[in-house]
Parts: sequence; structure tokens; C-alpha cells
Amino acid sequence: MITFNQVIIGHEKPLFEVKLNQLESGKVYALIGSNGSGKSTFIQTLFNEIVPVKGEIYLNQKELKLYSKRELALNLAFVPARFPEVEFMKVKDFIGLGRTPYLNAFGTKTEKDLEIIEHFIQLLDIQHLADKFTTELSDGERQLCAIAKALTQETPIILLDEPTAFLDYKNKQRIIDILEQLANELNLLILFSTHDLSSIAKQTIQKIGIEANTQSNEILPKMLPINEQFPFDNLLDKFYK
Amino acid sequence: MQSRLKFLGVIVLLIGLIVLHLFAGSTNVTIDDFYQSLVNFEPSNTTHIIARDLRIPRLLITLIAGGGLAIAGILMQTLFRNPLAEPHILGVSSGASLFVALSIMSGWFVFQTDYGIIASALLGAFAFGIILLSIAKFVRLQSSLLLVGIMIGSFSAAFISILQTWSEANQLKAYTLWSMGSLQQVSLNQIPVITILFLLVVGLSFFLVKSLNAIVLGSANAAALGVQLKHVRMLIILISSTLTGLITAFCGPIAFIGMAVPNLVKLIFKTQDHKTLLLGSLFIGAIFLLICDIVVQLLAQHLLVPINAITAIIGAPFIIYIILKRWS
Repeated sequence: MITFNQVIIGHEKPLFEVKLNQLESGKVYALIGSNGSGKSTFIQTLFNEIVPVKGEIYLNQKELKLYSKRELALNLAFVPARFPEVEFMKVKDFIGLGRTPYLNAFGTKTEKDLEIIEHFIQLLDIQHLADKFTTELSDGERQLCAIAKALTQETPIILLDEPTAFLDYKNKQRIIDILEQLANELNLLILFSTHDLSSIAKQTIQKIGIEANTQSNEILPKMLPINEQFPFDNLLDKFYK
Repeated sequence: MQSRLKFLGVIVLLIGLIVLHLFAGSTNVTIDDFYQSLVNFEPSNTTHIIARDLRIPRLLITLIAGGGLAIAGILMQTLFRNPLAEPHILGVSSGASLFVALSIMSGWFVFQTDYGIIASALLGAFAFGIILLSIAKFVRLQSSLLLVGIMIGSFSAAFISILQTWSEANQLKAYTLWSMGSLQQVSLNQIPVITILFLLVVGLSFFLVKSLNAIVLGSANAAALGVQLKHVRMLIILISSTLTGLITAFCGPIAFIGMAVPNLVKLIFKTQDHKTLLLGSLFIGAIFLLICDIVVQLLAQHLLVPINAITAIIGAPFIIYIILKRWS
């Protein structure tokens, strides 16, 4: 669980004010907002890479900034927007990198590590990809592998930066369904940023928006929970310039 | 399993080349001569001198220089996520050269001893490694970093040429000989120091395997996996510049191994696991330089060729092949 206490997110200059109380386990959160509104900054802040301009963020009742890098890696997993272009990397080795925080300096995987990797490969039904190189995969397959890697990290929270950006319509739906299913079955807190408003129309997905600040430069935009019905034509003006 | 089989092949090849290297010189030295020279050395016996004081140090420094430069190369390629990164093209060895030139031409005796030159080379390589690391933070494009390295190289070359015009004849000769690269400058009594330092830093590099494997995915990914990027970056620069400085001090600047060997290792083992890549680079780097030095020794009866020329003649076409394969 992540809780916010009067937080202002920003990097050097303040970007927006967080008007959420908390993010809970077992739920999927979709974060929307125009380009440059601060979605990535928000995710980086949760990773302690950027310090909030004001206020405190708590991760399981402990203040976020008190977490060491490794402790953080045991609580938060990250799926970046771009799949890393690396040659000669087998899918199962890529997925296995999720075990990094649990391994010794030499990177030796134990029986248990291998079982966990195998388990999540089966859970996402990508056994047929395991021995391929990551460079041979389609964008949809890559996204599944990136999620599998995050799962092997066995963290209660997974953050994804635009996981549907490079996918066709069917794959977008599939990834979002999988994220929902994982949040339910494994009681995970999943938060992802996106621009695909139609893909997140479902009631079961919690929506969060960062306002587009159109009125005045004096007032900071707010990050708000969105309770209104989708499709939200009227909200487009509010969250997109 | 498959990679174990490949390693077996690599080790067999390495052993074969070690034997070939020991017996490649123009003087005929038998196994018995090697054995006798070690257990029962006679200072008046020329064959013993050739075996113990020339052949064995030359073999060991060839193994160390080949393996060490390849390890420095793979470390820098992973750190900068650039398959063409290596100490030579990134200007780290030019730092060692500049500092060695300064110490040879300073005229101060302390700097002209073996240890003075080693210390200068280590210091120069490390200083330039740090400069490179701090510039790399601001460089987004892969090719820009290589250009930065080339500029650092030209910058040092300019200073070295100024130093050369000021220096005396014997200093100039000492520097010029050093800069041509040679595997014959090392004497037996220097070998222990070199070997210990080499094993220490190469051993240290294996403690970075987990972090290196994660860094391959980029810094955002690696940080999210709990990797202490700042520490790891510093350690990589420390290890690769120590190897570069050490080897450059004794053998002069040797190009192309750091770039060619790790790419060859990736082609052979088809993996991104750095336990395999580091071990593979260590062995295949040694193999590469052994082959080059055997060629030098075979040619020596007809003409003298510096080791640098051979590494370039074999290495440069391979690197062009890598570039074509990757970016065309």
C-alpha cells in the first residue's frame, strides 16, 4: 500500500499536487495525463529516483525515502515503456533478471529461483517463447515477457510505463486483462500510465488523472481519482490540453 | 551444457597455443630446457636464459595483456551499452600514455623507475576513466561517446607531441620504443607484481556479474532491480582502468583486443550472462594475443613487426564486420 501526505511531485520545479490518499493492493490503477504532465516523474518518484518537492510518501507505513535500493527492489517492480534492445539474450534469461535482488554478487540462481521463473513463464503461458532470443519477439510478446520479469521479482507492487503504447488493439486489451487478473489473483498493486482511454473504460480499473493546467500558472495541476463514467468526453478537456 | 563444451574447446585451444608460443622463437628450446632452467638455472647457459628470462615472462605477459584488455573491453561495453566501447577508443589508454610520457620526460629519476611508470600509467588511465564517466552522463547517442573518446585521444596525443619536441634524445627513444607496443619488455622479477594485481582486479570483476547482467537492460531497469549504479560504475572504471594502465605500462598501448574479443565472445557463446562473457573474454583475449605474438615471432626471422601492427591487421577487419553486421 502506498499513502500520500500532501505531496507535490516535481523535478526541480513543481509539476502537480497529489490529491490521492492511498493506492491499495489488489487493484489496478490507470494513470492518464497529457505528455509532459509528469506521469513518468511520478513513477520515478515512487522509485526514489526523484524526491518530491513537498510532503511524504509512505510505502507500507514506512517513509519511502528510508528504503534502501535493495529494499525498494523487493517492494516495487518496474516495466519501462521501451523494451531493451539487447542481442543474444534468451527470453528465460531476460525474465530471470527479475530475480536480481535475491541473487549473490556472482548472479548464481538457485533451484528455487529457477522454479519461480518457470512458474511465471507458465502463468503467462509463454513457454513457447522461453528459448527464443528477445530480439525475435513481436511487441505483444515482448510486453508479456517484461511483465513476467516483473513478476519473478515477487514484489507486491508493479509499476508500468505505458505498457500498451506499441501494441495493436487486441494486444492492448489482452495486456490490460492480464494485469487485472494478476492484481486479483496475486493481490498486487498495479499502476500503469497510458493514453489509451478506450482500453481502460472498464469499471474495475481505477482511473487517476493529472489535470492539464489551462486556467492559470499560479495554481498547480492536481492528480485526482476519476470517478465519472467512461467514455469521458467532458474529461478530455480537463486532462488533455 | 553447450556453453561448457565451447569452453572446453576454448581451453584446449588455449593450451595448444601456450605450447606453440613457448616453442615459437627462433632458438630451439626443448621441454627439458624449460624444466632445467626453472629448477636448475645456470647463468652461463644461453638456452636457460632464453627459456627462463625471455620465453616464460613473454608468455605470461601475453596471457595477462590479452585476457586483461578483453576484460576491460567487455566491462566498458556493458557500462556504456556500446559494442564498440573499449579503453583504447574511449581514450583511457591515451591517459596512460600521456602520464607515462610525462614521467619518462620529466627527467626525475623517481618517475623513470618501473614503479614510477606503472603508477603513472594507472593514474593516467584512472583519471581519464573518471573524465569519460562524467562526460558519458550527458551523452545520449552511442556514437557521440566514441567521438568524445577519440577527442580525448587526440587531446593527449597533442600534449605528447609537444612533450616529445622538448625531450632529450634518450628520453624520446625510450618513449617511442614503449609506444610501439611490445611483449618483450617485461622481466621475470616484474611478473609477480603484475600477476597479483591482474588476478586481484580480474577476480573483483566477477563480483560484479549480477550487476553487469542487469546493467545490460539500461540504467532505469538496473536501478529498479536494486543495483547500486553509482558504486558499480566506479568499480567498473576502477577495474578497467587498472587493467589498461597496468598492461599499457608494460606493453605499450595495444589496440583492438578490447573491442574485437568481447564481440567475438558474444558471437560464440550467444549469451548476455557476464559470468560466461568475462571468462570467455579472459580466455579468448589470451588466445587472440597469443596468435598475434606467434605470428610476430614467426616473422621475426625475416622482419621485425611490432605487436600493435598484427593486432590491428587481424582486429580491424573483424571490427568492420561487426559494424556492418549491426548497423547496416
